[in-house]
Amino acid sequence: MNEPTIVSFLCNWCSYEGADKAGGARLNYPANIRIVRVMCSGRVDPEFVIQALKEGASGVLILGCHPGDCHYKKGNYKALRRAHLLKKTLKQLGIEEERVRLDWVAAGEGERFAKVANEMAETMKNLGPLELS
Amino acid sequence: MAERIGVYVCKCGPNIGDKIDVDAIVNEVKGIEDVAVAKSHNLLCSGDGLKFLKEEIKNEKLSRVVIAACTPKQYEVKFMKACEEAGLNPYLMQMTNIREQCAWVTPDKSAATEKAKSFVIASINRVSLQESIEKKKIDIQPNVLVVGGGVAGLEACLSLAQKSRKVYLVEKSPCIGGLTARFEEVYPTMECAPCMIAPELQEVLQKENIETFTYSEIEEVVGSFGNFTVKVKKKARYVSEEACIGCDACLEPCPVEVSNEYDEGLSTRKAIYLPFAGGLPNVPVIDKDNCKRFKGEECSICKENCAFDAINFDDEDKTIEKNVGAIILATGATLFDPKELPQYGYGKYDNVLTAMQLERLNASNGPTGGKIQLKNGKEPKSIAFIYCVGREEKGYCSGICCMYSLTLAHLVKEKLPEVKMHNFYTDLCLPKKEHQKIYKEAMEKGIEFIRSEEDVTVTDGGEKIIVGTNGKKVSVDMVVLAPAVEPNADTEKIAEILDIPRDDQGFFAEEHTLMKPFATALEGVFVVGSCQGPKDIGDAVAQGGAAAGRILSRLIPGEKLELEAKVSEINEDLCSGCNICIILCPYSAISRDAEKKIAVVDETLCRGCGTCVSACPTGAARAKHFTKEQIFAEIKGVVR
Repeated sequence: MNEPTIVSFLCNWCSYEGADKAGGARLNYPANIRIVRVMCSGRVDPEFVIQALKEGASGVLILGCHPGDCHYKKGNYKALRRAHLLKKTLKQLGIEEERVRLDWVAAGEGERFAKVANEMAETMKNLGPLELS
Repeated sequence: MAERIGVYVCKCGPNIGDKIDVDAIVNEVKGIEDVAVAKSHNLLCSGDGLKFLKEEIKNEKLSRVVIAACTPKQYEVKFMKACEEAGLNPYLMQMTNIREQCAWVTPDKSAATEKAKSFVIASINRVSLQESIEKKKIDIQPNVLVVGGGVAGLEACLSLAQKSRKVYLVEKSPCIGGLTARFEEVYPTMECAPCMIAPELQEVLQKENIETFTYSEIEEVVGSFGNFTVKVKKKARYVSEEACIGCDACLEPCPVEVSNEYDEGLSTRKAIYLPFAGGLPNVPVIDKDNCKRFKGEECSICKENCAFDAINFDDEDKTIEKNVGAIILATGATLFDPKELPQYGYGKYDNVLTAMQLERLNASNGPTGGKIQLKNGKEPKSIAFIYCVGREEKGYCSGICCMYSLTLAHLVKEKLPEVKMHNFYTDLCLPKKEHQKIYKEAMEKGIEFIRSEEDVTVTDGGEKIIVGTNGKKVSVDMVVLAPAVEPNADTEKIAEILDIPRDDQGFFAEEHTLMKPFATALEGVFVVGSCQGPKDIGDAVAQGGAAAGRILSRLIPGEKLELEAKVSEINEDLCSGCNICIILCPYSAISRDAEKKIAVVDETLCRGCGTCVSACPTGAARAKHFTKEQIFAEIKGVVR
């Protein structure tokens, strides 16, 4: 049961800890959620997303601190702006915009992390693997 | 020379060992190029585990290490230290989280093993590209600039002044002590404020390591945390601080009389004056705008009356330059001007006062020597207090007005036991452990509290003033308004000089309301007391001390300042000078080198978020330890 991978960029301060909390609470989510730690969601270069899809990921999750909570003040807003633009670009390339999801998970939100991870896995299951010609 | 990577998979007892086939991972990665050794361990974070790790690094002559274990949030620092102790740069170690983010969330063992394998391979890919980083250390200036000589600034000065550290206190008015020095008695202790702060004022003025510049302002600040250069403008006082002994013989003969702003316009002062009796330093100042001599007239009466030759009409403004490592702003706040709300009759009726004016009337060093009186000199028989003046307009509760009004009510009642008092409030804000008691005591003394559900109106009642709300009216001799606390007029200018943000209300913005309430977005610049938001004396003092503590722990005389290792850097050759990174940096850590026409990172300010890197169109910006190549390598590993 090798589901296509979902590369998940998690900010160091909130979302990565949120994922740790999900672990602490032994919440389950599919094993195809693969985590890459970055210091801030604002560090997620659109190139990272494209690269992940090129490498064979079927989807990309970008998780940061809730708006107003960014450890670096406004990195998550910058991530949001980039995500809007990126989704438009991907759409033009024929890639469904659901394949990229930007969301917010706080350090204490283990349940929320597991929920977002499960939802994303479900969405990718429905969309199927990404076919890049 | 070929790399020698060591991969260590921790079983964490049964936590990882039972959920993941650790041996399978070890066997698989053994074959990867450059992996010199791959082993499992039952508990790497234990004393034995760390010893094992250090021996492995030395014996196997490892050049890089991957540790697959729990979350790096738990023991990354411990493992980094172990690497360092074994002679390996800690940034050549990569941890991957196969417990919280794998073993504990994946019930199927083979799926968990596959996932963990991908994490380990991603880390091997990544660690191959990691670079050793030496934490930069810079020389620092341990001296500190404190702007504002109120209680918050005084506390900061006294906490910071110690051997090998100088504190420069810059105060814009001629005296230190801030608003507190002008209060008679303060809540919740109801003690004499000038007596309370006198020892602090004297200590600040006499302490060898504190240099005080009164009647001075900051003009320019350049540099960054650890090394700021500050220009202070010391305005001409025309009275020598060295020669003057504070006998006041010059004051009385001065022929000029103007309204005294330090008594809220309730008294007059001379052109040569001390703001209030007992103000420290006890050296008068000549108000150039009102002095006859400076208006071109012949007058030197003050000079003639000075027995110590302290008056110097040729005195000039001076600019003084100081090098400091950190800056504390303690510039205070002011009160909302009730003239903006004509319904309260302030400025229209003689006996409508602000709370600060009543403070001065009640003060023994005030215009009436502490006698509470109406404009006509008679004692008031009834007083109405109106709370929350300007709260709606400002959009926030100042949090101290209820208490200062209650305090004044108590103090007035003590002096005039027969006076009738009516307090018109909307909501009472009495948050601290002593406050309820003071409110209860006010009620016990017969002071009336009227909750106004609609606007309070102040109208003419002949000799009396009529105050009304909710259909209820009282006729009083005096009305006292409790205005909101608002930023000082110079807050904007100081924020510009330092390039720090202000909040929506105009106060200096703290970096984080709860966790960093006295730090600012600019490292090394702190905001304490009411310039950061309305505050009572105790809170202002606490903040002053807290900021001083932060500085004491970072700027240690004789020691270097260690900087963040994971910072951004900009490749000169690739930078096109587009300035995008400069605009995006949340810490103003990037500036433009005008000569080279490129962006440069100040490593003392960069905190390593990397947002400049993802925005750089030419790839000139690079995030140390989180480079594009390292992340790409990691992506390649996790997608298998």
